[in-house]
Amino acid sequence: MNPSEQIRAKAKELLDNKTVDCVIGYERSTDGKNSRPLFVYSSKDADRLIFDQTCAQNLVRYLLNRKDKVTGIVVKPCDSRAINLLLNEHQIQRDKVYVIGVACSGVAKTDWNKTSDKLRDACQICQQHKPVVYDFLVGEAKAEPAAEAYPDIKSMEGKSPGERRAFWEEQFSRCIRCYACRQVCPGCYCGECFVECLDPLWVGIRIAPGENEMWNTMRAFHLAGRCIGCNACELVCPVNIPLSLLNRKLEKDVQTLFKFQSGIDADAPPPFAAFQKDEKLGVAE
Amino acid sequence: MAVDYQPRIVGFLCNWCSYAGADMAGTSRITYPPNIRIIRVPCSGRVDPLLVVKAFQLGADGVLIAGCHPGDCHYTEGNYYARRRFALLRPFLDYLGIESGRFWMEWVSASEGKRFSQVVSSFTSELIKLGPRKALVPEAVS
Amino acid sequence: MNKFISKKDLLSWLGKLRETRRLVAPTRVDDLTLLTEVSRLEDIVFDYQNTDLPPKQFLFPATETIFSIEKKDGRVELVPAKVEKETVIFGVRPCDAKGILTLGMPFLEEPGDPLYREHCEKTILVGISCLTACPECFCTSMGSAPDDPSGMDIMLTGVKDGYLVQVLTDKGKALMPDSLLSSVDTPKPPAPQVSTVPSKGITEKMRQAFDDPYWGRLADRCLHCNVCSYVCPTCYCFDVRDYGGKNKTERVRSWESCQSPGFSKIAGGYDPRANKGTRMRQRFAHKLLYFPEHFGTMHCIGCGRCVRACPVNIDIREIIQDVQKLGVKEK
Repeated sequence: MNPSEQIRAKAKELLDNKTVDCVIGYERSTDGKNSRPLFVYSSKDADRLIFDQTCAQNLVRYLLNRKDKVTGIVVKPCDSRAINLLLNEHQIQRDKVYVIGVACSGVAKTDWNKTSDKLRDACQICQQHKPVVYDFLVGEAKAEPAAEAYPDIKSMEGKSPGERRAFWEEQFSRCIRCYACRQVCPGCYCGECFVECLDPLWVGIRIAPGENEMWNTMRAFHLAGRCIGCNACELVCPVNIPLSLLNRKLEKDVQTLFKFQSGIDADAPPPFAAFQKDEKLGVAE
Repeated sequence: MAVDYQPRIVGFLCNWCSYAGADMAGTSRITYPPNIRIIRVPCSGRVDPLLVVKAFQLGADGVLIAGCHPGDCHYTEGNYYARRRFALLRPFLDYLGIESGRFWMEWVSASEGKRFSQVVSSFTSELIKLGPRKALVPEAVS
Repeated sequence: MNKFISKKDLLSWLGKLRETRRLVAPTRVDDLTLLTEVSRLEDIVFDYQNTDLPPKQFLFPATETIFSIEKKDGRVELVPAKVEKETVIFGVRPCDAKGILTLGMPFLEEPGDPLYREHCEKTILVGISCLTACPECFCTSMGSAPDDPSGMDIMLTGVKDGYLVQVLTDKGKALMPDSLLSSVDTPKPPAPQVSTVPSKGITEKMRQAFDDPYWGRLADRCLHCNVCSYVCPTCYCFDVRDYGGKNKTERVRSWESCQSPGFSKIAGGYDPRANKGTRMRQRFAHKLLYFPEHFGTMHCIGCGRCVRACPVNIDIREIIQDVQKLGVKEK
């Protein structure tokens, strides 16, 4: 059975046995080429489920709206790290989630009404081809982890501060503060986001270069040590701001400084809730 | 660079050690450049990276965070958390084009008045060398 | 006989306009085609179906100071915002021109928004009709057409070596006098075929489907990312805040979206649309029911941008089809 068939069979079984209230997976979108999230509440709809190279979206976000119900969810290895993150931060309970993990060798660069065989940038440097948490495994991980995990970050670090300043100024000037990046991210679930705070007015509603920079910088920093690198934010940005260049820079530094990677172990203490008395971190020495 | 460029430094000083140290510099009549604007916080661990980024957004040329020496924090552990946070923020700001020379973190104890004045002097000279920060000041876009 | 202008003459006309006015035209920015203020004529592109963002930002900017309160010589003065220069928006498609007419309806309804009115008076639209249709657009089902000149001051239709010109308003005539044009007997090319959606009677069907659980199911996958409202040529929800300074306070208006959680929160913390399904229903009810009832025209102009931009494929065309099929509810 191919992945789609395995997922459909499992979903039918889970729904018929009432193990779950709903299975969240993917179905074909209206352009006939790509995929979109699907919520299956009854096994008669399970045949709409698919899994293929176009399933780039991270579905874990939806678990945060369904905390009181048991939900089945289809996750790729990168997405599965988000489940561990939410377990670690006590946002979901393990017995309320049934994880259908798909071993994946990469998804394609998706775009409306276009098909592509080219792997997404994030997939080309992927280190995780098997889900880190699952109740049912679909497929076999064949690909080897990529050799170089942060080539784009290293190239950016090699530029001068002036060049980097100019690059980010240009990128942030396009931001329209739609907050799609925040809405799609499984790690962004604050009841009141710092941009909604009126007193003190950190960012506010004005769409201007200074405010845009503050928004993007601080969102990335609030995800430091938490971002699992699914790149859903970059995928959803309507003006194509390269957000992964921000988030993964922090992921790289967290790994170097604190030897920590988020989402691998649901019980590991988060890096900013811990410290070591004698650590040398390159500040104030 | 304008001849009369005077860098504006925003300093977050922890109440128990660094602020007291700055106070000691004052009572000992030690001169240091007046470029620093001090904000007193209970502990360096209270300083949120958001405050640092906001200071830069509003036009600060440099930001200093000063706290108790590791092991001497009045609240036992606050400065350890601060150390981790700002160890990550510094290279990140540099990555965004805000040079790491603009963001300093120092341990200054309550008796180190002279050290505080030296920190401010060296920070000010470094900022004069780096020049004014081309801040993305808030402006209404019409 | 039709009026004609060669591409070369068109570009030099645009260059002349740029001397005294702000010229906005489609340019390429990374992989996007966006309407931007043009500094070099060579940056203008002509090979696009439609721009990725609509022209509404030039009459209704994403962020705008609507007035400021300033302290001058001990007195407190209210300084309204002024629109400094005239703007020529070049390369607008018929759907977007209709979009601007539609966008203006709530702003210009008496007593009217004086700042918006000033923007309108100081904006000239030079449109280019569509010779091909995007796969997602459905303008003909929403009261427009690929060659519909409504809302434009000048409409151009591409032919060999140049454009056929229709000058439609006095503003357009003042900008492009007859002397710049030649007469040709080239016929107007036929308008392309555009996909349709079953929009006939959708207003009544929306009213009947108000309580249907369809909206809750649809909203399951919505991320409330606001992108649909921001790329839509006719969406106009906004928020207003005061930004205070030393001697000056600015009242700033910025885009918002009814899809945002907390958009409809009122003082005291109550939110009448806290539920995802009610927010989703609000969007489509506004587009297909409330706005047509009040202003007599659909709030959607069929450009297809929301269809392309939505990350979870909430497709208004699919929704219109689904709503037409939903059972009639007894009130």
